[in-house]
Amino acid sequence: MPWTDEELVAKSISGDADSFNELVLRWERPIYALAYRTIGREEDARDVCQETFLRAFRALPGFRGQAKFSSWLYRIALNLCRDWVRRERRTPVVQPPEDVDLIEMAAAAEPSESIEDLVARKDLSRLVERAMALLPEEQRTAIVLKEYHGLTFQEIAELVGCPLSTVKTRLYQGLTVLRRELAKNQKAQL
Amino acid sequence: MTDSSFCGYDGDREDALTACLYDDGTDGPERALFEAHLFTCASCREELAALRGVRSQLARWAPPEPAIGTIHNPPPAIRNPQSASASASAMPWWRQVPAWAQVAAALLFLGVSAAIANLDVRYDASGLNVRTGWMQTPAAAPIGGAPAGGGTAALTSTDAATPWRAELAALEQQLRAEMRSVRTAAAQPPAAMRAAAPMSDADLVKRVRALVDESEKRQQRELALRVAEVVRDVATQRQADLVKIDRTLGVVQNNLGVEVLRDRQRLDILYRASQRQ
Repeated sequence: MPWTDEELVAKSISGDADSFNELVLRWERPIYALAYRTIGREEDARDVCQETFLRAFRALPGFRGQAKFSSWLYRIALNLCRDWVRRERRTPVVQPPEDVDLIEMAAAAEPSESIEDLVARKDLSRLVERAMALLPEEQRTAIVLKEYHGLTFQEIAELVGCPLSTVKTRLYQGLTVLRRELAKNQKAQL
Repeated sequence: MTDSSFCGYDGDREDALTACLYDDGTDGPERALFEAHLFTCASCREELAALRGVRSQLARWAPPEPAIGTIHNPPPAIRNPQSASASASAMPWWRQVPAWAQVAAALLFLGVSAAIANLDVRYDASGLNVRTGWMQTPAAAPIGGAPAGGGTAALTSTDAATPWRAELAALEQQLRAEMRSVRTAAAQPPAAMRAAAPMSDADLVKRVRALVDESEKRQQRELALRVAEVVRDVATQRQADLVKIDRTLGVVQNNLGVEVLRDRQRLDILYRASQRQ
C-alpha cells in the first residue's frame, strides 16, 4: 500500500530524503500544470514548479499538517504565480505550443486518432488557451483549480482566501466569459 | 452577461447554477429547489447546458508535456545518491569508482609515500622505533654496551634474540607482492569488465536505434500534422477566395447589366429618332 502524503511528509521531516522525492514525483505534474495554466509560459511554469518544491522542502519542518499537503503545495505555487504576474507587470500570456509540443501531442495521441482529429483537438486547445488568457487572474485561478485540479469550493476558498460564495461567482463569471469567447472564436473559424 | 431575463428564480441564481454545474457534494435545500426550478425554466436549462459545453471544451486544454525529468531536478540537499539508477550520472566521479580500485589506490599511495619518506620501522630491545628521511642513522646501540664497531655482530645477536624480525620481513615481502599485483591490476581493467564492454556497446547501439526510430516516427507524425494544417489552411483560403471572387463577379455582372441597359436605352432612342426621320 503506498504511503499517504502525510506519512511521507512525516518521514521527510525526520530526515528521509527519499520520502520527499516521492512527494515530488507525485505532485510535480499537477503543480507544473497549475503553473502553466496560470501564467501560460512553459519555461516559467517549470521554474515556478521547481521553486515550489524548493520552498516546500525548506519550509517542511514548519508544516504542522493543519492543511492537506497538496493544499499547502498549491498555496505556495499560487503565491509564486501571483508574484510572477506582478513582477512581469502584465497579464499572463498563453503561448501557442512550441514545435516540440506538437510532436509530443502527436506521439501522445491515440493511434486511432486521425490527423484531422488531432488538428481539430489542437485548434480547440489553442482556442481555450486564448480565451483563458482573457480572464482576470482570480477567475482564471478559480477555474483552473476547479476544472483541472478538482478542488472543492471550500478548498478553493481557503486557498485563495475569499468567501465560498465569491468562489462560485468567480467561476460563474469566468465560465460565462469563456462561453462567449469560445462561441465567438468558433464562429470566426467557420 | 447573464441570461436570466426570463427567469423567476428567487435565490442566488449564479450560485445555484454553479453548484448544479459542479457536483461538489454540497447538496442542500437550495440545490433541490433549483433542480425543481429547472423543470419549469427553459432559460436556466439552456444556460446550464451551455456551461456544461464550456466545461467539456475546457477539458481539451492540456498543458504541454515537459520532457521527463525536466520539471524537477532535485537539488543535492534532497537528492538521495543511492536510490535511482538515473541519478548515477549525477553522482560525484569518485562514487563511481569501484571499491576495489579505491582500496588499490589507497595501498599504492601508502606504499609510494612510505618509499619516498624512507619509512623505517624497528622494534628491538629499546622499543618501537619509527624513522623517516634519508639521513644516515647511527647504528643501534648494542645490547650490553658493546662498542659501535661491532654492529654486525650485534645485529646477528639481535636477530637471534628477536624471532619476530623474520616474520616482519615475511610480512614486508607479502605486502610488496600485494602492492605489485595491485599495481598490475590498476594498469589493466579486470577480465569481467573487458567482457562486459561489448555488451554495453550493443545495448547502447540498440538504444540509439530505438531513439532514432522513435524520432523518425515523431517526425513523420509532425510532418503529417503540418501537411494536414497546410491542407486545411489552403482549403480555408480557397473558400475565402471563392467567396471574394463570387462577390466581385456579382459586382461586375451588376455593372455590366447596368451598362447593357443603358446601351439598350441609347439604341432605343437612336432607333426612335431614325424612325421619325
